[in-house]
Amino acid sequence: MRHLLARYASIMDRFSVFVGHGCSMLFFACIIASALEVAMRYGFDRPTTWSTELSMTLCATAWVLAVGYVTERNRHISITMLEIVVGPRVWRFFRLVQLLAAVVAVFFLARAVWAPAMKVIARPEYSGTAMNSLQPSYLKVLLLVGCVFHLMQLVANITRWFQRTEKGTSGGH
Amino acid sequence: MGIEYITLLIVISLLALMAIGIPLGITTLLVSLGTAILYFGERAGFFIVSANVTEVLHKYELISVPFFVFMANILERSGIAHSLFESMAIMGGRFRGSVGVQTCVVAVVLAAMSGIMGGEIVMLGLIALPQMLRLGYDKKLAIGIICAAGALATLIPPSVVLIVYGLAAQVSITKLFAASIGPGLLLASLYIIYILVRVRLNPALAPIYDIPETGLPFVKRLPFLKGVILPAILIGAVLGVIYSGIATVTEAAAVGAVGAVVIAAIRGELSWMKMRDAMRQTVLTVGSIIWLVLGAVALIGIYNRIGGGDFLRGLLTSLDVSPIWVIVVMMLIVMVLGTFLEWIAILFITVPIFAPVVVDLGFDPIWFGVLFAMNIQIYYLSPPFGPACFFLKSVAPKEISLQDIFAAVLPFIALQALGLMLVLFFPQIALFIPTSLN
Amino acid sequence: DPLSIQSSFNAGDFSMQYLTETWLPKVPEMTGGRIEITLTPNASVVPAKETPDAVAAGVIDGDFTSVNYFSGIEPAFAIMADLISGYDTPAQMLEFCKNDRGEEIQQKILDSVTDGEVKLIACGPYSRESLPARIPIRTFEDLKGKKIRAPEGLASAIFASAGASPVSIPFSEVYGALEKGIVDAADASAYVNNVATGLHDVAPYPLYPGIHSMPLMQFTMNRERWDALSAEDQKALRDWWYAAMEDLTKVVNEQDQEKAAADSKGGKIEVINWALEDRDQLREVARAEWLKFAEKSELAREALDANLAYMKKIGLLKD
Ligand code: NA
Ligand code: NA
Repeated sequence: MRHLLARYASIMDRFSVFVGHGCSMLFFACIIASALEVAMRYGFDRPTTWSTELSMTLCATAWVLAVGYVTERNRHISITMLEIVVGPRVWRFFRLVQLLAAVVAVFFLARAVWAPAMKVIARPEYSGTAMNSLQPSYLKVLLLVGCVFHLMQLVANITRWFQRTEKGTSGGH
Repeated sequence: MGIEYITLLIVISLLALMAIGIPLGITTLLVSLGTAILYFGERAGFFIVSANVTEVLHKYELISVPFFVFMANILERSGIAHSLFESMAIMGGRFRGSVGVQTCVVAVVLAAMSGIMGGEIVMLGLIALPQMLRLGYDKKLAIGIICAAGALATLIPPSVVLIVYGLAAQVSITKLFAASIGPGLLLASLYIIYILVRVRLNPALAPIYDIPETGLPFVKRLPFLKGVILPAILIGAVLGVIYSGIATVTEAAAVGAVGAVVIAAIRGELSWMKMRDAMRQTVLTVGSIIWLVLGAVALIGIYNRIGGGDFLRGLLTSLDVSPIWVIVVMMLIVMVLGTFLEWIAILFITVPIFAPVVVDLGFDPIWFGVLFAMNIQIYYLSPPFGPACFFLKSVAPKEISLQDIFAAVLPFIALQALGLMLVLFFPQIALFIPTSLN
Repeated sequence: DPLSIQSSFNAGDFSMQYLTETWLPKVPEMTGGRIEITLTPNASVVPAKETPDAVAAGVIDGDFTSVNYFSGIEPAFAIMADLISGYDTPAQMLEFCKNDRGEEIQQKILDSVTDGEVKLIACGPYSRESLPARIPIRTFEDLKGKKIRAPEGLASAIFASAGASPVSIPFSEVYGALEKGIVDAADASAYVNNVATGLHDVAPYPLYPGIHSMPLMQFTMNRERWDALSAEDQKALRDWWYAAMEDLTKVVNEQDQEKAAADSKGGKIEVINWALEDRDQLREVARAEWLKFAEKSELAREALDANLAYMKKIGLLKD
């Protein structure tokens, strides 16, 4: 069991980093799409109907899916003042509390976005714009996926806490 | 339970959860979800949270944040930031605090090309902070300058805060923009004066850059300006595309990101590795920022629906003081809300109640809009929920903790409050420009 | 407790203030003090496009929203929301809701997306939106090549087939885009609101009365809460709303006229009013697009047919 969990943690870590690196490509594509719209509209007098929605969608995807990478690297922003006050042993206990609090919050967020996500899967919602893309449906599902992904990485981090293989808790980075 | 107790409870839970080191995005999510479920039950509570959280992903202006982060990462990694600050330091010669002052000036220029606070803070955090630390600046002073001056992005036009205020209060956005220039420059001047006074009193805060070049006479130092040229061209280009109508403010940030890559290439400092690392750093920074925002916006709507607005209305009508003090009370309320709510939530709750009262009392709603935007400057810095501090934290060197940042911004909050009072009691600081335009 | 109704008006909109001051106090008057309404501004509790679900979930008691926001949820909403270039006056469209098939269709569409948890009390428009432009667009021909910000699908399609280039920038960028010339014209709000936000400072050639848009508003309530009201109170609420909208239409129109006349006189702003033949030309183009749009769903088809039948009945359409 211990071994199995350790394997889960390391596979999850690698997966999160892989997705995180993939997200960087999405940001890059987003920059290109926005710059291209400027060129099309100003240079060629042919504004596109897709650029705004596409940039938004690419960016939102990267925002949400970066969560695994950010969690794996312990880069969520927090206040770590008490670490010095309470000393390393108590702080280690606090680390667990922090991880569990994150699990609770993200679990309830996942439950909150569950119904809207299921609703758009049953009946897709479109943007209603000229492009009329599936963006609103996509974003609702994306958020649910992001929450689940976040939870999966949190489980990996909790495993590491119990097995004392936590990565540098970079001072609340 | 009365709304005043709920307010207190919200603030206390936020503080308590943050204090034990729970990530801020998680803290705000927990508090909002808790409030929503306790107050509305599961179905309605979940809905109000999910609807507002999902809406963040539709906020187009936010996509300029990754553009700015990427731009800054490229400038930093390619050494452009280093040469820029080297030039600035040499040009400043042996004048104590010169780089701090120059950073404020750069911040004002950047504010003219960014409409949201996050973009400018992360940019300055990546470029200016390491350089100021390298030049021996006091950590706290450097952090304070960056958070306070970087927040000017939403006071100096263009500004998304002023646009949303203009739409909510139905006042002229042109006039709001014109009226906010004076107060924006006023705050920048206060910061500069503060820097000069502090480094005078305590020279250790900003050591003189002790290399032979800084001792040269001014004319001999001019050739060192060359480090400024490329960044100046980049900033000029971005401002150019905005003010000539080529691109929107958000698109211009993308143009700037492409521009940064181009000038890094011109300097021969572009490599695939640098690009890749810059992108990955962007993901980590933006990824940590977005969860902060997601958590924070979940409280939008909740506080309004549980009667925050009615509470404020009651407060105001029970006041028996002269009109100007009503405005003072309004400003205090915005400040209090600014410690735990997102600015857009503050705006939704207060503006519908305050704006008509302001007009009834015979005050200019444009002036009030500027006061509101100045108050939002305080909101950015004030703990526990101080977004400018969070944004800086997301890019600051590891050894700088959030509590360092909070401690560093305190004097600047006092300066912002001073600026706010000046505009409050001397409305001409704001209204001078729009009046003379008419 | 007063009913909490979220509107799609901005807090400082003329219409919002007018309703709050003049019409909200009449609700208790007309219901013997049994009902009170608090009207909250756009997005104050949930984003505007989420209000049907919010009403269904009981987050808010009801909504007073521009139906345009729901266009993406079901194409039929877009047809109901704003049959671009269709009607001449708000009164015609209000009548379609109140005494023709408007309410019935709108309720049917709402039911299809919320499982019958939302009760439509009434619907209707109150104003014709003006179209602020930074360069003169005097005729149908002038539309050619103009960059126009029009986020809704139907409006975009109509502008595109009239030869303009629709631009889809988000609303927060509209002001700057008009000022700097990124777009030539942009859909906005009633003339009186555009005056207030200073849109005409940057777009001094407003087309008024507008050529395109007359947005439908809906007034709904959570079904359970609605069923708990007496038949008498239900009727009173509906009557109240239509009376308020008829009055609002009149007052906003007066305000618009007044401001437009003042602006014309001021000399800095040229208010452009299209000639009848130009409007007819645009309606021809628009009609083809309505038909195309109605293909998108059965409900959309039904909504369009009901509108067309009504337009023929009142003589707006010949064939
Ligand atoms: Na700005
Ligand atoms: Na704050």
